[in-house]
Amino acid sequence: MVKYASFLGCQIPMRIPSIEIASKKVFEKIGLEAVDLQGYSCCPEPVISRLLDKTAWLATSARNLVLAEELGLDLMTLCNGCYETLLEANEILKHEPEERQRVNDILKTYGREYKGLVNVKHAVEVLYEDVGPEKIKEHVTKPMKIRVAMHYGCHLYREPNGGDITRKPNMMKELTELTGVEIVDYGLERLCCGYPSMQADEEFSLKQRLLPKLKNIKEAGADAVVLTCPACTIQFEIGQILLREHGIHYNIPCINLMELLALSFGIPSKDLHLEFHKGPTSQLAEKIEGDVNA
Amino acid sequence: MTGKEREIVECMRRELGSDLIDAKTPRERRVFLRIKPTALRKAVNALKKNYSTLRFMTISAVDHGLDFEFLHHFHVDGAVVTLRSVKPKEDNTLESITDIIPAANFIEREITDLFGVKIPNHPKPGNLILTKDWPDDKRPLRKPLEGALPPQARPVAEALISTSCVAPISRYMERKREEAGLPKTSSFAFTNEKDMKEFHGIMKDTSLSKKVGFDWKKKKLRYR
Repeated sequence: MVKYASFLGCQIPMRIPSIEIASKKVFEKIGLEAVDLQGYSCCPEPVISRLLDKTAWLATSARNLVLAEELGLDLMTLCNGCYETLLEANEILKHEPEERQRVNDILKTYGREYKGLVNVKHAVEVLYEDVGPEKIKEHVTKPMKIRVAMHYGCHLYREPNGGDITRKPNMMKELTELTGVEIVDYGLERLCCGYPSMQADEEFSLKQRLLPKLKNIKEAGADAVVLTCPACTIQFEIGQILLREHGIHYNIPCINLMELLALSFGIPSKDLHLEFHKGPTSQLAEKIEGDVNA
Repeated sequence: MTGKEREIVECMRRELGSDLIDAKTPRERRVFLRIKPTALRKAVNALKKNYSTLRFMTISAVDHGLDFEFLHHFHVDGAVVTLRSVKPKEDNTLESITDIIPAANFIEREITDLFGVKIPNHPKPGNLILTKDWPDDKRPLRKPLEGALPPQARPVAEALISTSCVAPISRYMERKREEAGLPKTSSFAFTNEKDMKEFHGIMKDTSLSKKVGFDWKKKKLRYR
């Protein structure tokens, strides 16, 4: 059985727990054992902490990595932001001995040491590489007859050592296709959703980043947006609400890849508690279920 | 470092003990002594006692947003010696050295004028370059009490440092999680005293909390 330490991060359990529920159900179905880390902290978020204090950023990441190392497991993240932080911190800690020593000097006060034995993977990679599309397809009992637009999220393109940056987005696209959906191209897949710039300039973030995407997605005729990143999901959902204050009305549902897989596995939407979303995701799921059962 | 700078540093180290935080001599005839703000008068007295040729130059005040930095510059036997002390802006005071060095009188009053810093033990307080009716809350060189973070980023930094999580959970969400068959919260550091102590230890061992202006007593940022 494939086994990983699961890093849920902050946004999934605290803002969109339906992703946590869906992922547990999907992992159980496909035989992936995900052990929740005990006593973990924010990854930490990659903007403020990393820009202001690299040592604090590295030491906090290292502590989270140690928690997985103590379990003897590699680390799997469901959130793109956590993935980038932990992946990049891990690369530094593994390949820059002086940095690791500096961080370990801090951690030893608390009886911990990071030896550099952990690998960090996004759940998309784990599903694709460790479980495999064929095995996942075996569990698809209710193919989704909807058109979706993909939003991969900037951090999913992160690849260490000059690797192919489209590797994980391509995996995500293939996994999404397994659920039976039709993926529509809208031309702005690579554009950031605007979540990070919300902290600096809300209007720019909404009108110059999110809005062009929403326009193209609607014009492409998508019924929903498929994402893996909870922060991007929050930006899409809350952003559509905030745009109403500017007289701009969109109501496009967002669905996480884990939720989409769970629905295609035949797990009823009411068991996923999609009402945690701030957009019409529940309504989308009910419509899909109605169409599938019709 | 030549013999003179070394001698000054050693002398002040002897006189100030742990009140001397750091000493730097970046170039010839230049000495920076970072001292605890409470030891300002002690340091000035020590310079006066040990160096008969001591000449007071001036005081520079710098408003860093969250803190004031005061730089007391002296000329000592051909070298410029600066006593550097940093005080939180909430304190808003500077100890006068005018009774030790009378030449500091005007510059201390100028600092009060331009920054609004109070100098409680000044022998002749009062406006120097501003008019008598100048409003207290409109000091020409005083910045607002603010750290490096833009307003939207402040709640994120505060939540991260105080709770170990950038999206603190509400009672409502705890209840909704339980209704959905999940535990109240996931196994965050804040659910366990030992883990939280460790996380806060890391925050204190590094300088993030200081850079963002986190008040550990109040468990929140010093500004909004």
